[in-house]
Amino acid sequence: MLRLPKFEVATPSSVGEAIALLAEAGPSALVVAGGTDLLPNLKHELATPELVVSLAGIRELVGIRVDAGGALAIGAMTTLAEVAASELVRTRAPALAQAASLVAGPQLRTMGTLGGNVLLDTRCQWINQSYFWRSALGFCLKKDGTKCHVVEGGKKCVAAASNDTAPALMTLGATLELEGATGRRSQPLDDFWVADGIYNKKLAHAELLTEVRVPPTAAGHRGAYGKLRERNSIDFPLLGVAVRLDVDAAERIQAVDIVVTALAAQPKRLARVAELLFGLPARGAEFERALEAVAATAAKQCNPLPHIPGDHEWRKAMVPVWVRRTLRAAAERGGPVHED
Amino acid sequence: MAARDRHGKDAPWGEFAVVGKPLRKVDGLAKATGAAIYADDIALPGMLHAKTLRSPHAHARIVSIDASDALALPGVHAVITGKDLPVKYGVIPWTPDENALAVDKVRFIGDPVAAVAAVDEDTANAALKRIRVEYELLHAYLDPRESLTRHDPAIHEGRKEGNVSKNVLLEFGAIDQALATSDVIVEDEYTFHGTTHAAIEPHCAVAQYSADGVLTVWSATQITHYVHRALARVLELAPHRIRVVQPCLGGAFGGKSDPFSLEFCVATLAMRTGRPVKMLYTREEVFYCHRGRHPMQMRYRTGASKDGMLRGVDAKILIDGGSYSSFGLVTTYYAGQLLTGPYAFPTYRFDSTRVFTNKPPCGPKRGHGSVQPRFAFEVQLDQLAEKLALDPIEIRRRNFVGEHTTTVNGQRITSNGFLACLDQVERASDWSTRHGKLPFGRGLGVAGSMYISGTNYPVYPNKMPQAGIQLKVDRSGLVLAFTGGNDIGQGSNSVVQYIVAEELGLALDQVRVVAADTDLCPVDLGAYSSRVTFMVGNATIDACRKLRAQLVEALAAHWQVDAKRVRLIHGEALDLEDATHHLPIVEAFHLAEERFDTLGATGSYNTPELGGPYRGGTIGASPAYSFTAHVAEVTVDIETGRVRCEKVWIAHDCGRALNPMLVAGQMEGSAYMGVAEALMEEHTVNRYGLHRGPSLLDYRIPTSVDTPELAALIVESLDPEGPYGAKEAGEGPLHPSIPAISNAIFDAVGIRLKHLPFTPGKVLAALAERRARAGEPTVAGGAR
Amino acid sequence: MRGRMGVLHLRINGDDVEVAAPSHWTLLEVLRYRLGLTGSKQGCDKGDCGACTVLLDGKPVLSCLTLACTVEGRAVTTIEGLLPAHVAGGGQGADPVQDAFDRCGALQCGFCQSGMMLSARALLDRNPNPSDEEVRAALAGNLCRCTGYTQIYQAVELAIAEATGKRPKPRSWESTEPRGSS
Repeated sequence: MLRLPKFEVATPSSVGEAIALLAEAGPSALVVAGGTDLLPNLKHELATPELVVSLAGIRELVGIRVDAGGALAIGAMTTLAEVAASELVRTRAPALAQAASLVAGPQLRTMGTLGGNVLLDTRCQWINQSYFWRSALGFCLKKDGTKCHVVEGGKKCVAAASNDTAPALMTLGATLELEGATGRRSQPLDDFWVADGIYNKKLAHAELLTEVRVPPTAAGHRGAYGKLRERNSIDFPLLGVAVRLDVDAAERIQAVDIVVTALAAQPKRLARVAELLFGLPARGAEFERALEAVAATAAKQCNPLPHIPGDHEWRKAMVPVWVRRTLRAAAERGGPVHED
Repeated sequence: MAARDRHGKDAPWGEFAVVGKPLRKVDGLAKATGAAIYADDIALPGMLHAKTLRSPHAHARIVSIDASDALALPGVHAVITGKDLPVKYGVIPWTPDENALAVDKVRFIGDPVAAVAAVDEDTANAALKRIRVEYELLHAYLDPRESLTRHDPAIHEGRKEGNVSKNVLLEFGAIDQALATSDVIVEDEYTFHGTTHAAIEPHCAVAQYSADGVLTVWSATQITHYVHRALARVLELAPHRIRVVQPCLGGAFGGKSDPFSLEFCVATLAMRTGRPVKMLYTREEVFYCHRGRHPMQMRYRTGASKDGMLRGVDAKILIDGGSYSSFGLVTTYYAGQLLTGPYAFPTYRFDSTRVFTNKPPCGPKRGHGSVQPRFAFEVQLDQLAEKLALDPIEIRRRNFVGEHTTTVNGQRITSNGFLACLDQVERASDWSTRHGKLPFGRGLGVAGSMYISGTNYPVYPNKMPQAGIQLKVDRSGLVLAFTGGNDIGQGSNSVVQYIVAEELGLALDQVRVVAADTDLCPVDLGAYSSRVTFMVGNATIDACRKLRAQLVEALAAHWQVDAKRVRLIHGEALDLEDATHHLPIVEAFHLAEERFDTLGATGSYNTPELGGPYRGGTIGASPAYSFTAHVAEVTVDIETGRVRCEKVWIAHDCGRALNPMLVAGQMEGSAYMGVAEALMEEHTVNRYGLHRGPSLLDYRIPTSVDTPELAALIVESLDPEGPYGAKEAGEGPLHPSIPAISNAIFDAVGIRLKHLPFTPGKVLAALAERRARAGEPTVAGGAR
Repeated sequence: MRGRMGVLHLRINGDDVEVAAPSHWTLLEVLRYRLGLTGSKQGCDKGDCGACTVLLDGKPVLSCLTLACTVEGRAVTTIEGLLPAHVAGGGQGADPVQDAFDRCGALQCGFCQSGMMLSARALLDRNPNPSDEEVRAALAGNLCRCTGYTQIYQAVELAIAEATGKRPKPRSWESTEPRGSS
C-alpha cells in the first residue's frame, strides 16, 4: 500500500513536553493531531519529517467549556464529532457546529480535531498527489518545484484554504490560544492568515494551538454554514460560506458577517454586506431583496481558481447562490446548507 | 456431447427446493467475519515485496535504464525491466501489443517500466527512486480525433492502420433507402466520457516458484484461465508447470479481466529470487491500470414512420481506446452489435473506429462496449417520441423486437421479457399519471436495453467446452464442486452450490465449492460477458444429472422399486410411494459407491452455433439475452444545475431468478453504477496526459448518502436454454440508468443532455440556452 | 515514548497484546501484517474509502490514517472480534449485524464490508433504534462499489428489527405478483 515515509514518533503527555520536543528537533519535526490531514500528505511525501510529535496523549487539550469570561473554550484536540454534537457549541456557535458536522465523513470527524481543521494545510489538485504523480509534471512551487500549474507564470502559490471550521470561527470572532517555547499568546483568527498557499498561517515552529475561544455571542445570534461539495460526505469544500447574523428583539438585523473559504489561500471575509442588511427585518420581501444584493456583491468579490478539483466557473456561479442560501438559513435558525 | 443439451426450465424434482429462494451465499459468513482470504491477505514465509517503476511521460522512447544503484541497495533482491519479459501478450490473441514492462517505449503516464523485489515495501520504494531511466519524448496523442488522421509517430509501430486500433463497418439491409423514405429523421451527436471500475480491492498478486519448478500465482483476477495462458506465453513455461489461483476477490466489474503487469512481474521475480513475491498496487496504480469504459463520440441518425415505427438506424462511433488494445477488438464490435434489441431495426449500419491515444488503456467495464451506444440511442429514441408526440414507453413497446426471433444483424433471440419490464416500471413509477405532469424541476425518464448471457466467441478459437465442472462425492455426505468459474462477488459459487443442492436433493451445508484454481478445477473461461450463471449453471446441471442417475439407480435397486419413485430432497432419499423407504442421502452415496465404485461426475457447457454469417457475426451472439427497462426520477435544481436522481425502478428479465435476492443485488448495484456514471464519475487526464485525480477522493464514487432509492423488479421470462431458464443479471441492468436520467431531466426541465457526465455546469448552460431560445431572461433565477 | 521501533500494548478484540512495529506504521499495517488480522482491508491508501475502519474504544476510525504508536493502550475492535464477542456474551454464531448482512445479500465481494459492518455495529451500540437517515449518515464514510447500498440498509434494518421487535419493510422484489411474462 501507499507507505508513510520513515520517521520517529513522540507521544508527549503535556503541552510543555510537546513544545520542548519540537523546539529541540527543529524544523524536521511535525505535529500530528488526528492525522487525517497530515498522514495523507506524508504518504504523498509532501513532507518527510524525522520526528512526528503526536498530541493524542495530551488530555489537557480536550474538552469544551465556558470560561470565566463567558467565552466558549474548545481544546484543540477536541474532535470534530464532539464539536458538532456539543449542545454548548450548537446553541452558542451554530455555524461552528454545522461546519464541524460537514467535514469529511463520520470516521474522519471522529479522528479529526478542531485544531487540526483550523490548521489544515492548503489544498490544490496539483499538490495533493503522490510523489510519482507530482514528479510526472515536474512538481510545483508549493513543494519540490518552481512552476505554478494553476496560474500560468504564477509566482505565488494559490492552493486553497479548505478548512470548514475556520470561516465559521472567523464570523464568531474567535481567538486562537497559542503556546510556544517563548510563552503564550492569543491570536485573533481574523489576523492569523497569510495570502500564501505554501504556508498560510502565522504559526511559528514549535508553537502549538492549544485552545480556540469563541467570545460570548449576542442574545439574537444566528449562524449557519453552507458547504458546496460534489458528494454529501467525505469531500473537501468546493466552496464554504459561514454566516453570522445578529438580530435584536424586534428581529431586525444588527450585525452581519460572511466569510467564504475554498477560494484562495486564506478564508475571505466579504466586504460591504453589513450595510446592505443592517436594520432590515430578518425575513420577508425586503430581506429577500437585500439577499439578492448581498449575493451580487459576493459574486463580484469571489473568483475561484482552477486550483481544487471541480469546475471553477461553476464554483463561481455558486457563490451568490450559496451566500443567499446560507444567509437565509441563518435568518431562519436553519442550516447547515449542503444538499441540493 | 452433453454440453449442448438443454436441461429445461423445470425443477428437477417437480418443484424447487432451493432455487428461487433468497438464501445465504456459500461464502457469506466467511466474508462477514473477516475470515475470507483475499490476495493481499496471503503472507508466505520469506516473502519479498515488489513495486513497479512507472513512466512519467505520456509517450516516449526509452533510451536507457540503469538499475545498478537500485540493486546496490541493501534488501533489494532483484530488478527486472522489459528486457526480461520481451514476449508481448494481449487478452485477445489477435492483438498482442502489451509488454509486462515497457520495451523500447512507453505509451502513457503510468506505463510499467521496471519492477523491484525487496525485503519490504519501503526498501522496494527506495530502490525505485534509484533507477535512472533516460527518455526521448515523443508527441503525445490525447485527442482521439488526432489519432484518426495523424500516424507519425505511431503509438504502436509497424501497424499498417497506424494509430487506428480497429474499424468495423457493418451494414444490414438497405439503410440509405430506409432513411430516405422515413417520415421523420432524428440526427444528433452524443458523448460518453470515460469511467473506471473502482473496485474497492486494489490489484494484487503473489507468486511462488517451487524447487521442483512449479509456479503458483495467486492473483486478484476475474479470469484465471487467461492469466494462466498469458503467463505460459510470456514466461515461456509449459502451462502444466503453472498454477493460477484466484483468492476471494474484492470486486472487479471488468477491471480485472486482462492479464496485468504485476502477474508477470511477481512470477519472474519469484523465479529469479527463489522467494515468494507479492505485489500490491496502490490505489493510484489501479487508476493507471484502468481498462475502464471507453470514451465514445457517437453520431446517430434514426428514421421512423409517422406512427413511430423504426425504419433504420445509422451510427458512426469514434472510440478512444487509450494506449493498448486490451479487449478493444471486441469493444469495437459490441459498440454496434449489441444495439439491435429490444427494438426491431429493419435496417442498420454502424461504423465504429477505435483509436489509440497516450492515455491509460480502456477495456471492458460492466456492460462492455454497449453502455455508450445504448445511452445515445435511448436518448435519440426519446427525441423521436418527442418529435412524434408519442409517449416514450409507447414508442418502445411499438418497436419491440419480439421473442424467439432473429435481429437484423443475425442474432438469435430466445426468451424476451422486455414488455413485462416496461409494464413493471410503468406501473411502479405511476408513469401514466406522473410523466409529463410533475412540477417543473422534477421528472421521469424511461430507457430499455438488452445484454448478453455470455457469447459463443471464446476469445481464443477452440471447440472445447466454455464451462466445465467436476463433482466429488464423499462418503461423509459432502459433495464438493470444482469449478473454474470466478466468483467476483456476484455469487457464482453460490449458484453452483444451489444447483448441486437442488439436483441432488442435498441440504446447502452438504455442498461446498472449490473455484478458480487451475490445478484443481476444470477450465472455465471466467467471469466476463455475464456468462457465468448461464454457462457454469448449465455445466453444473449436466454434471449433477449424471450423478443423480447413479444415485437413483442405486436406490431403486436397493428398494427394488421403479426409478421414477425415487426422490432426493433436503438431504434425504425417499420412495414416493412407500413411506417406509427413506434414507439419509449419505447412505444413498454409500449404496451408489458400492454399485458404481468411487463417485464423481463432470459436466460441461458449450454454446450452440450462433451469429450472423459474416465476419464478426459471432461477436455479440449470445445463447440468451437479458432485457431491462428503467424509469428514473430526478429533480433538477435550476439555480445550481445539480441533478439529483431520487429513485430508479429497475425491471430486469433474468430468465429465472435462481436466488432473487442475489439477482436484486446485481440489479441495484448495476443501477447505482450507471447513476454514478451519469452524474458524478469521470476518468480523465489533464493537459499533460496525467490522470486528473487517481484516488477515491478525486474520482468520486457515490457514498450511501449520494445513492438514490433503488427498486429492483424481477421479471422471469424462463429461457429455454438457461439453467432452469436463467439468464444474466449482472451487467444488463446498468445500461438504461444513464439514458433514463437524461430523459428524466428532459421531462423535469426541458433540456436534452447528450454529453456525459451531466455536471451542474452543463445543466446550467443548457438551461440558459433553453431560456434564450424561449426569449426568457438568461439569469438563473431564484425560482426554488 | 520516542523511537523508530516500539513495542505497543494494545487491547485487540478483548485481548491484551504486545507487538513490535516501526514507528511509521499505521494501525492497519500492524493489524494486517504483524497480527495477521487481515479482515481489515486497505482500499484507497489514505482515508477515502473506509474499508480499513476499526473501532477504537468503540468508535469507528480509519486505521490507515492512524499511527499505531499513537493508540498505545487503547481498545481496538476488528471484524474478527465480533463473532467471539457475541459468543462470549451468550449468543450463537456471528454477531447479529454480520448475520443480517449475510442473510440480506449485502456481502457481494465483501471487501468493503468489514468496515461497513463495524460502522453499523458502532451505530447500534450507541443507538439501538436509529432512523433510516441515521443509518445512512453513519455509513457515509464507507464506500461500497457492489451493492448500491440497498441491501446494506436492509441488513442493518433487519438487525434493528430483530433487536427491537419491529417489522422490516418489504423489499421491492418480494412482490407477490407473478414475475413472468411467460
